[in-house]
Amino acid sequence: MSVSGKLFYNWSDKDFDESLKFIDTEQLGDIPYDVTIIGAGVVGCALAYKLSMYKLRILLLDKNYDVGEATSKGNSAIVHTGFDAAVGTLESELITKASRHWPELAKKLKIPYEECGALLIAINDEQNSQLDKVYEKALNNGVTDVQQLSAEQALELEPQITKNVLRGILIPRESIADPFSTSIAYSEIALANGVDILFGVEVIGIENVDEKVKSLITNCGKKIDTRIIVNVAGLGSRKIADLYGGEPFDINPRRGQFLIFDKFSRSVINHILLPIPTEKTKGVLVIPTIFGNLIAGPSAEDFTNDDETVANTTIEQLQSLLNGASKLYPGLNEQPVIGTFSGVRCNCKQGSYWLRSNDGHRGIITVSGIRSTGFTSSPALAEFLISEMQEKLGLNLELNPAAVDSRSESSWPGWWKRPYSNNELVKESPEFGRVICYCEQISHGEIIQHLDSPLKPRTLDAIKRRTRAQMGRCQGFDCMVNVAEIISNQCNIPLKKITKRGPGSEIISTNTSQY
Amino acid sequence: MDSTKHFNVLIIGAGPAGVGAAVTLSKRGIKSIAIIERSDKIGGIPSFYKKKKGGVRTFVRWSRGGIPVFGEEYAQWLEKQLLKSKVRIELQSQVLNIDAKKKILTLVNPKEGEVNYSADAIVMACGSREETPAERGWLAGSRPVRVFFTKQLLSLLDDNHLLPMNNPLIIGSDLIGYAAAAKLKAAGASDAVIVDNCNRPKCSIFERLYFRMWSNPKYQGLKSKSIEITGNKAASGVRLNGKNIPCDGIVICGELIPNSELALIGNIKVELPSRKPVVTEDYQLSESGWFAAGNILGGFHGAEWCYFNGRRVARAVVNYLSESS
Ligand SMILES: Cc1cc2nc3c(=O)[nH]c(=O)nc-3n(C[C@H](O)[C@H](O)[C@H](O)COP(=O)(O)OP(=O)(O)OC[C@H]3O[C@@H](n4cnc5c(N)ncnc54)[C@H](O)[C@@H]3O)c2cc1C
Ligand SMILES: Cc1cc2nc3c(=O)[nH]c(=O)nc-3n(C[C@H](O)[C@H](O)[C@H](O)COP(=O)(O)OP(=O)(O)OC[C@H]3O[C@@H](n4cnc5c(N)ncnc54)[C@H](O)[C@@H]3O)c2cc1C
Repeated sequence: MSVSGKLFYNWSDKDFDESLKFIDTEQLGDIPYDVTIIGAGVVGCALAYKLSMYKLRILLLDKNYDVGEATSKGNSAIVHTGFDAAVGTLESELITKASRHWPELAKKLKIPYEECGALLIAINDEQNSQLDKVYEKALNNGVTDVQQLSAEQALELEPQITKNVLRGILIPRESIADPFSTSIAYSEIALANGVDILFGVEVIGIENVDEKVKSLITNCGKKIDTRIIVNVAGLGSRKIADLYGGEPFDINPRRGQFLIFDKFSRSVINHILLPIPTEKTKGVLVIPTIFGNLIAGPSAEDFTNDDETVANTTIEQLQSLLNGASKLYPGLNEQPVIGTFSGVRCNCKQGSYWLRSNDGHRGIITVSGIRSTGFTSSPALAEFLISEMQEKLGLNLELNPAAVDSRSESSWPGWWKRPYSNNELVKESPEFGRVICYCEQISHGEIIQHLDSPLKPRTLDAIKRRTRAQMGRCQGFDCMVNVAEIISNQCNIPLKKITKRGPGSEIISTNTSQY
Repeated sequence: MDSTKHFNVLIIGAGPAGVGAAVTLSKRGIKSIAIIERSDKIGGIPSFYKKKKGGVRTFVRWSRGGIPVFGEEYAQWLEKQLLKSKVRIELQSQVLNIDAKKKILTLVNPKEGEVNYSADAIVMACGSREETPAERGWLAGSRPVRVFFTKQLLSLLDDNHLLPMNNPLIIGSDLIGYAAAAKLKAAGASDAVIVDNCNRPKCSIFERLYFRMWSNPKYQGLKSKSIEITGNKAASGVRLNGKNIPCDGIVICGELIPNSELALIGNIKVELPSRKPVVTEDYQLSESGWFAAGNILGGFHGAEWCYFNGRRVARAVVNYLSESS
């Protein structure tokens, strides 16, 4: 039997669960960690998962109050085949490798995954002339199952796309998956295998960088000792690299906005629709989501500093996304939009996949610039990083026979398996028949279940990403307060202290009067 | 499914419209009627506006000389009417799916799990909700906490006695927005700033004068391309034509949009993107035996209008049933 890791939140409020509070480093034990992973995005979580197969003392920490709260929550959620990646790069190699692992991985992690395929379409002569190049590139990237389609064939596959289509390419294995569950699943398994996890802890300094055992200084005043540091902090990675003086690089965040369409649109379009990429961008896509919606996006807007608060939406961009996407699927104009979101890519000026082992100091790895493909590449990138640690940092790897690589069958998200349709279950536990989120049809029982899930999510957004409550057409109009009440009752936190994403985001402003 | 329960008429939604339809059908001698409601109480939206000392009455009873009442009082009146009738009431029952041709509803409740009900005629009285920022088309910006819809504000303020903000900013200038400003002020907040994407408030001058009894919100209207919400963790204001208006909480009010998703699921004709179901003069939907009543029809109607509309639709249902039998 393996021993589960420890889980703490840097959440000092007196009403927060005492057993989950991070009070002192003593709680973590007094032996330094072998590896500390800074950043619990999809890449950091994948690394924790893969490393947890070995006998190591590992810490995964993040300044946010859940995994995947940054770039990893705002993407297109496409598992790429890598057909259009720059040939011969590490990125292309990792995507191609990961893409073949994904069907198996999704089953292990219990992540909804669908091989919906992508349809690339040319709608004018210029685009038509480029199609052959795209096709060749796909073959060069080892994606040999792509098919050239005539206009008729394309329209037969997707009758609702623009009648202006001249020619197309079908990429059968381009897939979609649940982006939220991925970081969650990786880290839940890592925790079960003994990885410690800290939330709400920001790294603000590093001491003894040249020693075998280095110390991380954190925002809560506690130092954490570790032999290896892996900086996978996404948009925050440059600031951390400055703390240890790694090789200089620049991050120019690239924002991507999206429109979300209601579920009725999903039955109309079955493939990911891609325009012909230009020099500058991949263009605006129409993407079915695993949840049953369609999304259109992303935009590509560059910012010059690595300000992490650029994740806004703007009316101008959203409008131009709609215009762009309607060129592929003209009916989109009539489909009701329910929401918008944006994600910010960690765009490294010096190039994607900025990976440096022993960066400035022995024992430190920098992972940055995982710009547009980190969701897909995460399992292969994690394995690559582990081999780097073994070869270049001298990390000793011994398999832990007790480690597991899968989540239990019961971990399939409720929205996927629809627990209330099991009348026996409802008879036993009526709360599974009490619908709380009307739009996504999520029951009271599922919310309670997730509050008790391994990472003990305590914020509205963390519950939203797990259950989908508040993610439907009414965007929480009907259920937000009910969900907050359930968290409050179940976890003994007063309602007014329930937060959207951790301290400072309480639903009730401070110093308001009791009414 | 063989366990399908059959009724003469099924009504989805126990708001003013659904109750109006149910009691009238019952009075007209229809035998088996069931009203299906997903929340745990009767009354629809009015039931969320609780009766409070010094509180704000936001529902007008035009049939009683135009007196304003608390929503809760109106909901209680509806409940009394319904309990007097022989209508079967199914609370905490959400209709998930419909088969429009066979007139079958699939619903889920904590007693039975998923079950099917069928009927000779079905009335959709599902009401409406407020448009999301994306649906409004001119509201964007950041996504901090404390950006509420009116219904959320009501649950916090009236159900949980929590005042969520001191300096409210309200987006949406119809009656619901002015009512929210009054309720917040009555609960101890300062006068709200109300903004909207139009030069003049949508709320009528008479209604605004009425809400003056509690608060004197400042209106800042502007026909502009966009209004942006600001704030990183919590809402801190909005940006409107280059100007910042600060606040510590935002309520997005009004701009009702029909809860017509069941019709869409069942391929019953619905206008998009307005979501208004397509109805005939006597409120029949595009599938035979299906009707719609109340705010699901689109637009903004007061509770009493919806109640009387429900009664009218009930008469159309009776005609339909007698013609088809
Ligand atoms: C618009 C858009 C569309 C995309 N579409 C796709 C797609 O379809 N398919 C695909 O494969 N990829 C896609 N991507 C890319 C993918 O989302 C990213 O590559 C991936 O999420 C990067 O993960 P990460 O773990 O490197 O970074 P992040 O998710 O950003 O994680 C970094 C973490 O570090 C934490 N952190 C930062 N600083 C500190 C600190 N000082 N102390 C502690 N913690 C810190 C942050 O809180 C954060 O949780 C898309 C990205 C965008 C923006
Ligand atoms: C936020 C908000 C605030 C308002 N404030 C005011 C105000 O202050 N004054 C005023 O005069 N008017 C107000 N209105 C207008 C109000 O909608 C009407 O006064 C009236 O309540 C409409 O009646 P209805 O029966 O059509 O719909 P509702 O009152 O909305 O009732 C519909 C009912 O149907 C149920 N339902 C919907 N779908 C399903 C399903 N699939 N399964 C089971 N049950 C379902 C709902 O739970 C609900 O109880 C407000 C409206 C909203 C949305």
